[in-house]
Amino acid sequence: MSTKKTIAIIGASGNMGSAISKSLSKGNYRLLLCSDGQGKVEAVIADIKNSNPAADVESAECSAQASWEADIIISAVPYAAEKEVAAKIKEVANQKIVISIANPLNETYNGLVTAADTSAAEELQRLLPNSKVIKAFNTTFAADFATPVIDGKQVDAFIAGDDEEALQTVSEVVSVAGFSPIVAGDLSVSRTLENMQLLLIQLGMKYNYNWLAGWKILHN
Amino acid sequence: MYEVFFRKFNEKVALLPEEEEFLKQYLTPKKLRKKQYLLQDDDVCKYSCFVEQGALRAYLVDEKGDEHITAFALEGWTIADLSSFIRQEPATLNIDALEDCELVLISKSAHDELMLSMPKYETYFRILITDAYLALQQRTTNIISLSSEQRYKVFTQMYQSIFQRVPQHMIASFMGLSPETLSRIRGRISKKK
Repeated sequence: MSTKKTIAIIGASGNMGSAISKSLSKGNYRLLLCSDGQGKVEAVIADIKNSNPAADVESAECSAQASWEADIIISAVPYAAEKEVAAKIKEVANQKIVISIANPLNETYNGLVTAADTSAAEELQRLLPNSKVIKAFNTTFAADFATPVIDGKQVDAFIAGDDEEALQTVSEVVSVAGFSPIVAGDLSVSRTLENMQLLLIQLGMKYNYNWLAGWKILHN
Repeated sequence: MYEVFFRKFNEKVALLPEEEEFLKQYLTPKKLRKKQYLLQDDDVCKYSCFVEQGALRAYLVDEKGDEHITAFALEGWTIADLSSFIRQEPATLNIDALEDCELVLISKSAHDELMLSMPKYETYFRILITDAYLALQQRTTNIISLSSEQRYKVFTQMYQSIFQRVPQHMIASFMGLSPETLSRIRGRISKKK
């Protein structure tokens, strides 16, 4: 039997945070959900328990305490809020996997606020030098978690990071969420992954994909 | 967060402040609640676990489903399935928390890096393993040569702190006795007093 891992989800009441929480509650994980608006986290937990009474999920009052208990930390907050989160969890996230899901979009969704030679994931790694930052779940919309198979095809979810073991662990997390994990490369590949989602958002708005769209690599 | 860890480390090998800072980069702080698992058998033991606060036990489950406790760990002690940790093979032991715990974990990859890059860590680990081996040798000798009653007395003298915090049936399991036998031994000892 594999040992149950504890995952702290910071920003769990947001669109992405709640979608990730719901889909991971099916796995062999204990989930600690935290967010600024604690009441909204309780609603997410009630929703999870309603569809899966056996789910091991509870709310946590602060991100530092939750991250101290956690084996894996998911930062499901907007890019602009990551600095503040990093400062709170830095000490307790030492040596732990921290999943960066953020896309550093500008206000009009037509570009990224990060420079071309960096990415949201690499910036988070700079703030958490002793953590294992892994880029994941940034190329999937919140609605995809409820429907990870679109048009009969399982949506691919790309992962990038520098630590082999951490990439393996996050691949398992991505599989539990229902996506097909593809390790794309080291953490600098996050630049491409974040731009891929920028493109998908722009195409989604242009062709009205209704926020249910994803990437699939076709190959022989 | 690392107070007991560094105190115990310094008792074995003295560290300079900058060496403490270097070592800190490799440590994983972790909280575990009572009854939660650090390791379940068949999984690979990825961490050597130092107890900053709380209590844990290691145990195996036999074919009949009975539990046999092989080790306890309190503040300042280290616990792991050593064979699984060193060889990175599936564990035979389960490790769970008897109380809410605050732990300092060292992953196998961090351990391997430290063994190569920090001679003082290698010394620390050697002393840790030597002490554990001596304790194990003593325990084996006691099992072979002493009566159950003598072993119980030795246990209460050596491990008074465990005795005060752990239920009797777990102490019986650790000593390889049934709870009933342990209860009879305790009865005989208290009559003699």
